[in-house]
Amino acid sequence: MEGEEAARAERKVKKAAQLLLFRRHNLPGVKGWELKKALGEDYLEIIELLNSFINKLGLEVRRLSADEAGKSENDRFVVVLKEQMTDKASGLRIDDVAMLSAALAYIISRQGRAPRKSVEDLLADKFPRRRVSSALDRYIRQGYLKEDEESLLIGWRTHVEVDSKTLMDLILAY
Amino acid sequence: MTTDRAELLRLIQFCKTVESAEIDPFELDVKRFLSLLRAYIKRCKSMDDLLLDSEAISELTRVIELQCRWVKDRSASFYIDPALIELKLRLMEPVQLASAFLKAWHPIVSLDRLTAERLKQGMDYWNALLPLSERKRASEAELIPEAGVMELSDLFSLRILSQTEFKEELASVENELKMRGRTEYYDFIYDTDNFDESVRRAYLTSHLVSEGRAELDVEPLEEKIFITHGEGAANVDRSVPIALSHEDWLRWKEKKRQERNGR
Repeated sequence: MEGEEAARAERKVKKAAQLLLFRRHNLPGVKGWELKKALGEDYLEIIELLNSFINKLGLEVRRLSADEAGKSENDRFVVVLKEQMTDKASGLRIDDVAMLSAALAYIISRQGRAPRKSVEDLLADKFPRRRVSSALDRYIRQGYLKEDEESLLIGWRTHVEVDSKTLMDLILAY
Repeated sequence: MTTDRAELLRLIQFCKTVESAEIDPFELDVKRFLSLLRAYIKRCKSMDDLLLDSEAISELTRVIELQCRWVKDRSASFYIDPALIELKLRLMEPVQLASAFLKAWHPIVSLDRLTAERLKQGMDYWNALLPLSERKRASEAELIPEAGVMELSDLFSLRILSQTEFKEELASVENELKMRGRTEYYDFIYDTDNFDESVRRAYLTSHLVSEGRAELDVEPLEEKIFITHGEGAANVDRSVPIALSHEDWLRWKEKKRQERNGR
């Protein structure tokens, strides 16, 4: 009986790993309700179990709240690299990473919101304005930034992927 | 009162500047603003005064909310002076900025993988898909509007034709027909300076026939059609197709010219 239970849990953990590691939609990650549908009512326990496995590999499951009110089934679950990256692990150009870094630090220092014009002015100090504008549009598409009528704000992906405190500390330490 | 009003307007404007320009909300002296409002409300007389007072209160509330947020942000351990950060960002090299980001970055692990099932779905889709030329033809066909008949009432509603103008023209053709008496249809229709006018006349005449204000008399042996003015019943059930063409019109004109010359 105990063996059956363990086998069932193992099957579910494998399924959870597939759901979280392989992209199924345009945006990475899986919503809570999708996990519940695929894994059952005890999906949070299965995610915990998966987390304990992938922690050993330097990965972890993160939960991103869909709203400020609290946890809900609309929260997005993603797997992120837990440790600091040891080597180049993305196809991003150094210029693009630098622009993203500066834009995020600038916006974070202004309580998470800054006029797009002022961000563009800052980045245009070191990069051609045309490239700056297209880079900002790309960061918005990727979810690192978001934009309302007048300002740029921190996007959902930055909340998941970027340790804002570390970034600001490193910039201040310069 | 006028001075107070001017001062109040100035403060409202200042509040708006604080909100939009994100300047330090503590630049506004709330205590002084409230004293001014207290004095102003005592002398309020008109509805305009009251509206201005409520607008001032609303703007002041927003600035106090900003002050509250300002205190919260700065009391948090995370607060960093934006000016200092901007200075650092301007001084740092792109490589240093990128390096700082990479140390704080925990990217999402996400892979794209093509499964056998997905490949099969792709193949099914390919098999069901019509060739591009056929799809293009189908979409072009969809763009061609369906042929339909436009009624006289449609022309009136679209204001292509005026109802009064139409009635007048109909009456004019009817009068001419009345004066001519029984006449050959083509003599009546083609007796114009240009073909457009003939088409127009044929259209109006068909209305007169439909309404019973004119009658068509087809002589099969002579292969001629005559038209007469008459007060008959409306001919809604009877239809006599008569062809008109520009070539016919030219031939008719030539024939008439020769007849005149021969005479």
